[in-house]
Parts: sequence; structure tokens; C-alpha cells
Amino acid sequence: MDFALSDDHEFLRRSAHDFLEKEIDLAPLLRPHATVEAADYNETWRKLVALGWPGLIVPEVYGGSGMSCLDLTMIVSEMGRTLAPAPLFGTLAGTWAVLRGGSDMQKQAILSRVASEGFKLALAVSDGDGQSDGSKSDAVAVPADAGFLIEGSKSFVVDAAAADLLVVAAQHEDKRGLFLVDPKQAEVTIELLPWRDTTRQVCGIRFARAKAELLTADDAQAWLWIRDRLLLLLSAESAAGLQTVIATTTDYAKERVAFGKPIGAYQSIKHQLAEMFSAGECANVAVLHAAWALSEDSPLASKSVAMAKSYACDAYVAATHQSIQIFGAIGFTWEMKNHLFFKRARANAEMLGAPPVHRSRVIAMLEREAA
Amino acid sequence: MNFDLPPDDDPRRLEVRAWFAAHPKPKYRQMTEAGYVVPHWPRPWGLGADAELQLIIDEEIKRAKVLAPNLVNPVAINNCAQSLLTHGTAAQRGRFLVPALAAEEIWCMLFSEPSGGSDLGALRTIARREGDHYVVRGHKIWTSLAHKSKIGVLVARTDTHVPKHAGLSQFLIDMDSPGITVRPIIDMSGEENEYNEVFLDDVIVPADRLLGKEGDGWALSMSQLQTERVALSKPGAIWGAGPSARELVQGLIAKGAIKDTLLRDEAAKLYIEGELLRLLAYRSFSDRMNAKHAGPESAARKMIAAPHGQRVVDLAKRWQGMAGLVKGAETLPEPNGGRGTYDDWDYAFWFNPAVTLGVGTQEILKNVIAERVLGLPREKDPTAKTPWSELQKPQLRAAS
Repeated sequence: MDFALSDDHEFLRRSAHDFLEKEIDLAPLLRPHATVEAADYNETWRKLVALGWPGLIVPEVYGGSGMSCLDLTMIVSEMGRTLAPAPLFGTLAGTWAVLRGGSDMQKQAILSRVASEGFKLALAVSDGDGQSDGSKSDAVAVPADAGFLIEGSKSFVVDAAAADLLVVAAQHEDKRGLFLVDPKQAEVTIELLPWRDTTRQVCGIRFARAKAELLTADDAQAWLWIRDRLLLLLSAESAAGLQTVIATTTDYAKERVAFGKPIGAYQSIKHQLAEMFSAGECANVAVLHAAWALSEDSPLASKSVAMAKSYACDAYVAATHQSIQIFGAIGFTWEMKNHLFFKRARANAEMLGAPPVHRSRVIAMLEREAA
Repeated sequence: MNFDLPPDDDPRRLEVRAWFAAHPKPKYRQMTEAGYVVPHWPRPWGLGADAELQLIIDEEIKRAKVLAPNLVNPVAINNCAQSLLTHGTAAQRGRFLVPALAAEEIWCMLFSEPSGGSDLGALRTIARREGDHYVVRGHKIWTSLAHKSKIGVLVARTDTHVPKHAGLSQFLIDMDSPGITVRPIIDMSGEENEYNEVFLDDVIVPADRLLGKEGDGWALSMSQLQTERVALSKPGAIWGAGPSARELVQGLIAKGAIKDTLLRDEAAKLYIEGELLRLLAYRSFSDRMNAKHAGPESAARKMIAAPHGQRVVDLAKRWQGMAGLVKGAETLPEPNGGRGTYDDWDYAFWFNPAVTLGVGTQEILKNVIAERVLGLPREKDPTAKTPWSELQKPQLRAAS
């Protein structure tokens, strides 16, 4: 039993931290109407490619680093801590989908390109009603000569406009399948959504009989496997973003003077920050346990991930709001970063099931254990 | 990183289990001799056990359905007796330790006073040296177990001419000494077995009962309040004891109440928080075990655990509805295996306001985290540097 991070993990986290601290500048987003492109979304990706980050979770046999979920958590946490705008989320999501749902040939063809040249992916699972789990889908796939044609739409797709290849959940007979779709074909229309979290690129996609290829190893368990990993990703980003919020708000409370002393000398402020700190400790341990459980294929993994997603997202939402309150009116302006974190927290909480959805799942798992 | 707990077939576990099989209803004296009362202490009292072995022994005590000795004599075993290892004389160790660990002599902590709880350093009980003994005069309050105790760990002021924290000393006093009156406090739970007031009326304490030196009292008291031997595997609602969120959810499932959407979400939040508290407890444990500096999460853990426990017993009470106002009404299934004072849903609920008061009020804990962990400006105590006797003067004038 050793709950501490190993030196290797500390090193991994430290190097990701140092790199992103140096490279990421959110200042361009502190002007109204700016999008991720203004904040070096594409340039940062090129630098990530040089570091080999697109292939972090690609198995070594396809030229990647073959990282475990725990390894990866060190890096994606730093992405969350800095709100780094870059199409890593979409590529990781697509990679997991191909890794779990693809045939050996599909994996070879796609994942080796992800690892070697930074081939960008995006995973389109959400429908217009925000659901991503059902057997129904706004997109329907029908067989055609050499493969399938997809008709319909997908919603809230992260990094879709940047992607070189889409993985799309579409209804196929009476169930839902995962399909590869080339976004460059004329039958695919990708539209940037005016997404409130401006640190991400989020899109809607329409398909007008777009050519598609089925991921052939996809099965009933595949989506659950993929979703657990996506939930970990959102949890890790949220817990780490929460750490930034705690640090910046604490610093501000030490500097800002009112009535002759720093506002952090007042108990009303101290106590709020103490609560934020404590929630941060819980969120961190929740994420590390979930990452460890997934890495070890533990039977506890799904429950642990659901707990982490629910706890870390709620804590992030609460702290980002409190942070604006503690900063005072300046925290409410567009020129401050507070709102970027506030919006990322809200978006992460809603993606792939809001916290109450996952809490209900946790209870359902306990009900099954009790039965 | 490795979250695995010591497995069921760990050889050290099997050895402990075999001991309990051979001693089905062990006397605490036998457990003391086996080193199972304070396994983390050095021999001959303990086993010099690492944290993992401590965890194993805790779990096996529970498994053997033995009431843990630290629940019977908590002040000695969890808090104070350890100070004798570092500050006691050989004679004090010989006289006090074994009867304390074997729970043959119950201890109590004579710390808080009516004039100050959180501001312990301001205490007013005086111990005046006269030849080979001290004469103690004062008034203590909120003393758990005073009515059952043979030994009291007393903090009293031996020097009034220095600032308040510097003038304190600790004594191991006999609770049956002439001049001591113990009066039970009936708390809002309606029970009178928990807390007491203790009046010390010119009590004679032999000088060899001083623990450490004169002036060590503040440091000793602070370390004793921090060296709780964490109840590990069960983050119960009442300071780690009593029912837990796991038992709440199991109970609500068993009673078929969990299908209610609102209750389900509330119960799930508590369950998750309880599991994370468990992980935080294991983490500080693991840090100690791997000789890593214990992180600040232990202060944070206490701060989360207290209101968490209050919400756990609150939801259990609300599940009862109107009937919950009737003493003796049906509760959720009682937590199994515990048999401690708080293993009773109804009692735990009516006791719960104490949890954010005792062992550091919630407000003090938040100050500690804000100031010592986050580095926010320290609250200034205008009385910290002034000799204690000077501080009494205006009040004396006002009184006359």
C-alpha cells in the first residue's frame, strides 16, 4: 500500500507542468468573441506533436507510448490546470474509441498515424438532447456498397472542426455502432458552436449520406469502457483546474487590501478558502483512485470513476463561482480569467452525464452489490 | 502508487488472527502483553509496528468482535499515554502505562475550562508548588469519562508571570484525591454519561506527578490533541466512530427507501464523500508508513468529516420521519460489529451537534487550514505575549 505518486509520475507531471506553464497563454481569450484559434490552438498542437503527446495512450506496437490511465492523468491534469486550448481531448477520445472498437487493421491504420504525425481525431457521441448513452442516436447508419452511409446529426463534439478523422456513434439496426467518418467529404458539415467555454472547440455535425466505416470490434461493453476513460479525463481536468482556482484565489486574498488589511485576514474569506482547499483534497484523491483503478482493471473502476466525475465536477463548479465572489466585481469581468474556469467547470460537469446521473449510477452499483 | 490494502492471506494478518482464535475473549491485559493495544509503540508496550501492521491489527480486532481497548480508555491510548514515552520518568512509565493500556485505569483529560475552550492557553487553574507537592485549585469542564477515571491528565498554570502558553504544566493526578468533585453534565442528548465538570479544590498533587518539566504543558497538550490514533477503516459520523455513510446507504437500500430520487441523490453524495474521507485517511496512513511527510490533508479531513457525519445522521433521522421524534422508534439497521457508544443511529443523531464543537471547533479548524496550509494572515491574539498575571488585572479591578 502506497498512496503517494512514484518519482516517475512526479517527473511526468512536473515536465508537463513546466512545458504548459511556459507555452500556454490565455490572454487572447480575454477579449470578447475570441475563439481557441486566437489562443494558439493549432500552434500548441504542433508543439504537443513534437513532444509525442498525441500518442500517449497509443500502444507501443503502433508507435505510441502505451501509457496507463494513471500515467496519462499526470499530463491531462496539467492540461486542465492551465485550460490549455489544443485538440488533445478529441484525439484521446477518438483513440480510446478506435483502441476498444477497432479491428487490428483499423487500429494499425489510424493509431499509428496518430502517434507518428499527430493525426487528429474527434469522438461524436452526444445527441441534441445531451444524451450519449442510449441505443438511439440522431445519426443513423445504413449499409451501402463497400461500407455504410450516415444520415443525421451529432451534437457537442469536442475538437471536431480540427479533426482529421471522426469517430461517430450512429444507430445501426437496433443498436448503436461506432463508425469512422472522413470529415473532409462534402456530405459532412461541421459548424462551430458558440460554446460558452471558449477554451474548447465544440461543434455540431450534420451528415447527408456521408460515407462511413464500421469499427468492427465494437460491442455492448465498448462504450462503457470508453466512457469510463472519458469520465476520468473530465474528472482529472476538473480536479486540476480546481487547484488553479484555489491557488489564484488564495493569492488574490493575500494581496487585495480592504479596510487596512488583506481580505484573506477576514474569517469569512479564510473559511471559504479552507472549504475550497478541503474539497480540492477530496477531488484529487478521487481522481487518483479512479486513475489507479482503471490502470489496474480493478472491479472498483467504474464506481470509482463515477464518484470522481461527480465529486470533482461539483467541487469545480462551486469553487469557480466562489472565486468570482472573492475576487469581487473585477472577477466578473471578461478581462479576468475567473470566467474561463467558471465556464470550463460548468461544461465539464454537463459533459457525458451531469453529477446526479453518476451519483445515481453509484447507488445502482451498490444496489446490485446488496442484491 | 498502489491503493491495495493488506490482503486477507497476508502472513502477518494470519498470525494476528491465530492469536485471537487462541484467545477468544481476551482480557485487555493479555492484549497489552501481546502488543496489540498500541502496536505502533516500541516494545515492550507495542510491536514497533508499521502502519500496515497497525491496520491489520485494527481490522482483526474488529473481526474478532472484540471492543477495541482504545474505545474503552481513549484518553490514555489515543492521546496522552504516549507522552510518557518521551517526557515521562522511568518510574512514571512503570507505574502508569500497563494499567492504562489494559484499561484497568481509565484516564480523562482535564483541559477545557468554563472561561475558554478553543483558547486553551488562557486557562485559569493554578498549580502552586509547596515543597514536595503542588496545590491545585480550579475548575475544568467537558471532561469525558471523569466519573469513571482513576487518572486525570491535568493542564494547569504553574507560572503566572510569563505569557499564557509558557506558564502551563501537565500532571498525572489521582481522580480520587481529596478536593476533587466530579459533577456530570447532562448534554442535549439527555444522557449524563458523557461529560463532566471537575472542581479542583486545593488538591494535593505529589511533585513526582509532574509530566516533563514545568512549562512543557502547552507543547504536551498540543501534541496529545494531534496524536489521535486514527480509526481507520470506518469513517463514522461521530469523530470516526458510530455509523458511517456506507451503513447509511446499505440501510436505505435494505429499507427500500433508496428509490426516492431526492433521497437517493443526497445519500449518494454522502456515500461518495465518505469513500473519499476513507481514502484520505488511508493516504495519511500510507504517508506515515512510507515515512513521507504527512500532507495537510489530515487537518482538511477533520474539517470535512465533522459536518459529513452530521449530514449522515441527519439523513438517517429524516428517513424516520415523524417517528424519529419518538425515543426508541425503529431506526435504520444498527451498524454491525461496533458496540461503541455511538453505534446507535438515534443516539448519534441527538449527539451530533457536539461533533463540530469537540476536538477543535469547526471554525478553529478552518482557521488552521487557512493560516497554516494556505498561508493566509494569522489571526492576532492580543494576549499572546503579555504575562498572564498582567492580563488578570483589569478584570480584578472590574470585579472590585
